[in-house]
Amino acid sequence: MSTLVRWLLCLGRLVASEEALGDLYEELASGGRGKWWLCRNLLSTIGTRRAQAATGERRPEMMSNIVQDVRYSLRTLRRNPGFAVAAIAPIALGIGINTGIFSLLDAVALQPLPSPKASDLVSVYQQFRGVRERRINGARSMFSTPEYERYRDGTLTLSGVLAYSDSQKVTLGGDSPREIEGVLVTCNYFDVLQRRPVIGTGFTSANCGVPGAPPAVIVSQALWSQALSADQSLVGQTVMLNGQAVTVVGVAPEGFDGIDITKAAFFAPLAMQGVLKRGADYLDPYSSWLTIIGRRKAGASLAAVRAELAVIAQQIDQQQPGRTTVLTVSPARSLSLPEARRDLFSAATIVLAAFAFVLLIACANVANLLLARAAGRSREIAVRLSVGAGRRRLVQQLMTESLIIALIGGAAGSILAWWSFQTLLNAIIGSLPGTIPALRIDAHPNLTVLSFAVALTTATGLLFGLAPALQASRLDLQTLLNRDSAGAGRRTAGWLRGALVGLQTAICMVLLITAGLLLRALYVAQTVDPGFDYRHVAVVAFDLRGPGYDQHRATAFRQALSDRLGSLPGVETVAQASRIPLSLGRTQTMFRLPGSEQWNEIDINTISPGYFPLIGIPIVRGRSFTPADLTGSAHTVIITEATARRYWPSQDPVGQTIVMAQDQHASISMEIVGVAHDAQLSQIAHTPTSYMYLPAGASSQTGLSLLIRSATDFSALASAVRGVARQLAPGLVVRVHRLEENVTLWRTIAAVVAGLSGSLSLLALGLASIGVYGVVAYVVSRRRREVVIRLVLGAKIRDVESMILRQTLRPVAIGVAIGIAGAAAAARILDSILFGVSPFDPIAFVGAPLFLLAVAAMASLLPTRQALTGDAMSALRAE
Amino acid sequence: MAARENLGEFEHIVLVAVLRLGEGAYGVPIRREIETRTGRSITVGALYRTLDRLEAKGYVTSWFGESTPERGGRSKRHFRIRSAGLRRLRASREALSAMWDGLEPQITAGS
Repeated sequence: MSTLVRWLLCLGRLVASEEALGDLYEELASGGRGKWWLCRNLLSTIGTRRAQAATGERRPEMMSNIVQDVRYSLRTLRRNPGFAVAAIAPIALGIGINTGIFSLLDAVALQPLPSPKASDLVSVYQQFRGVRERRINGARSMFSTPEYERYRDGTLTLSGVLAYSDSQKVTLGGDSPREIEGVLVTCNYFDVLQRRPVIGTGFTSANCGVPGAPPAVIVSQALWSQALSADQSLVGQTVMLNGQAVTVVGVAPEGFDGIDITKAAFFAPLAMQGVLKRGADYLDPYSSWLTIIGRRKAGASLAAVRAELAVIAQQIDQQQPGRTTVLTVSPARSLSLPEARRDLFSAATIVLAAFAFVLLIACANVANLLLARAAGRSREIAVRLSVGAGRRRLVQQLMTESLIIALIGGAAGSILAWWSFQTLLNAIIGSLPGTIPALRIDAHPNLTVLSFAVALTTATGLLFGLAPALQASRLDLQTLLNRDSAGAGRRTAGWLRGALVGLQTAICMVLLITAGLLLRALYVAQTVDPGFDYRHVAVVAFDLRGPGYDQHRATAFRQALSDRLGSLPGVETVAQASRIPLSLGRTQTMFRLPGSEQWNEIDINTISPGYFPLIGIPIVRGRSFTPADLTGSAHTVIITEATARRYWPSQDPVGQTIVMAQDQHASISMEIVGVAHDAQLSQIAHTPTSYMYLPAGASSQTGLSLLIRSATDFSALASAVRGVARQLAPGLVVRVHRLEENVTLWRTIAAVVAGLSGSLSLLALGLASIGVYGVVAYVVSRRRREVVIRLVLGAKIRDVESMILRQTLRPVAIGVAIGIAGAAAAARILDSILFGVSPFDPIAFVGAPLFLLAVAAMASLLPTRQALTGDAMSALRAE
Repeated sequence: MAARENLGEFEHIVLVAVLRLGEGAYGVPIRREIETRTGRSITVGALYRTLDRLEAKGYVTSWFGESTPERGGRSKRHFRIRSAGLRRLRASREALSAMWDGLEPQITAGS
């Protein structure tokens, strides 16, 4: 007999009866029975152990017990509405905000794709090493076109494999050109998703061949009804995309905006990539740009798909010596991209943890409430125990009560959350700046969120109910029934209460210090001088690929536009730059010092000579760019002061040279001609220490924006700019905004984060002070007799007060100490949104604990005062 | 009271098996008897659950025998049918055959 079988038989003693185990042993000894048979039969014996007792009476009794307990609990809750509200409200709040946050996470990342039988869809991503030549047009874990074809042609477990690109911004021509976002897809996209276009035939094989096939597009119903006036005869006609005539071959089903996080307004075959993005070619074997989604065949398990695709990945590896690929195959969700999921989930973990902390405080409150109530009910409980109620039965009844409180709170909180977070989400999406594309987020309540709410509710009920229930049922009957209830000093209950208060204080401390840090960061963000003059500056941005411009026409257009704008009334200066200060995103390259092999990352901004005077950044050493630098043969750069200090600590950087990487093989020597004053260029309250300016030569014309300093009213200027641009390039979409908006965006981020964390910590503080208040009130009321005797014997009220305070504030002080340590550990995570405030900022780390201690002292002083100022004699008589 | 309890199909089968085995009726042979005659596999737990129920209804009685080494030192639980069980079995069989009376040609023709 194997060891496993012996172990199983040993374990069997827990569930199986003597005779059943003997039977199992005999069967195994006679042979012919495997361990699976044993497992199955062991499982079947669960519940037969005390079979005689269980049959007939016990099971119905258990059911009626539960019904009885539920009724009893509901009755007690109805009878004590004050207690019910005090217990249910914090739980509802705690579960509500947690469910709400989870529903947001679910809406963004966990939703199945909008396709019939979406559970059959799998997303495929890859991680590879040992690949030298790779261009990333999306994310590194995406696939190149030939790789996609290998998987599509090689699979037998998937009935169809589609691929699509990241969102592409193009200009839709017409009377009023506009920018729209769409995706490039494989021609089987709609077939695999089983969503047929409602009008038109969709892509045909003619659209899907090699580059140069007749360009075709399927438009979303939203675009069709908004921009194309819901024209039934549209199919078969052409629209202008980036200056190209493209035939519309279909309209996507109602409400279908693609399967990525951004809404797609159109779907075009992969072959049209060259048409939409002139000069870029992603169809080569080196570009990561496609996301792969496959549909499992009936009966093909996820494991089978994984195994099969891994074999294909291996074949690809074999053809590229040195390459090793690992695939990630998982059920397709609204956010499947591994890079994005990692970022989102680490952020969500922090937020969820903060919100779970508040729920934990609420739990501690309710646990304390239950403890206090159980103490009040100790006589009732003692009587029940002494007339023969089992301890198990008592715990079961008390737990039923806790679970019912949790259930009511959970239901109320979840309903509130679904209603309020949906409103909140819509408000957030509505207030996003126009530069961020429309998002496809569905925050309707669903089974995942419901399961989360139910699980959280049950866990909450167990968490706050178990300790008090066990505590309440562990009574010393003798003492209790003989003496009065107040005299039954139960040291463990007191300890438990202290621990709960300590826990609450510690959590509250972490949240308060965090909020303090973020508020300090908000203050910095609001008041800091970014180091450049952002007032009265307008930014003009446009994408010259929209009307299909080449390099030559782009240069000519930009020059003409600059000249015309410079002569507008009120305009002082016009300059060009590739990166607008404090805009999101950055451009980086690598450089090294001559004679060093160490490559360093550096942010670059390509500018025209007028940039520095326009933005108010002085040149502190050397010179600014001159028109001679723009020819492209001068190879000059200007660095910032911080960069100079970092790489040339005790030398004059002007006149030094650096080696800049051009691409993977070539590099170029550049001369530093000047040093510009520091400014907060990529993030507010943060001075970059590796930043340089390059002259905007003829070869860098495609990605430049214009800056205009003007004394005139912004809206008048904006419409004048649009008018000039329309004359020069009729099909071009021009975006004009204030530079000040970039600063405001950072301040808004700071305000939202600080506001959220501030209200969360105030909520925590409120709950924690209610907790402290409740415990102190309870302790004082229990010790009333002692206090009154002390007073009668001549003790001063002040002395008694400070005695009680000392005792009740001990767990608070311990909690504060633990909380400070916890906050110090947690603060480092926040570094990136602290805007230069140290994560160990003394104001936050001293101010918040003092504040909390003061609140806790108030919360304990109040009930003490109340107890002491009452009529001493009446209290004494009552005892 | 006990005589009015209904007899389920499986209870019926188990009761007959206990009757059939006589002196040698305990867990293992009862299960083997049912398995070889009906061809259906039953678990140890299901059998004991039924036997416990039959005992509670007063149809069988059980006692523990000596513990033996081939059973890992655990004792056998022997079963014997009681007169109430016998009466119930007879009544069940009579009720069934009364219902089946004359239907033989129909079920053989249908198959």
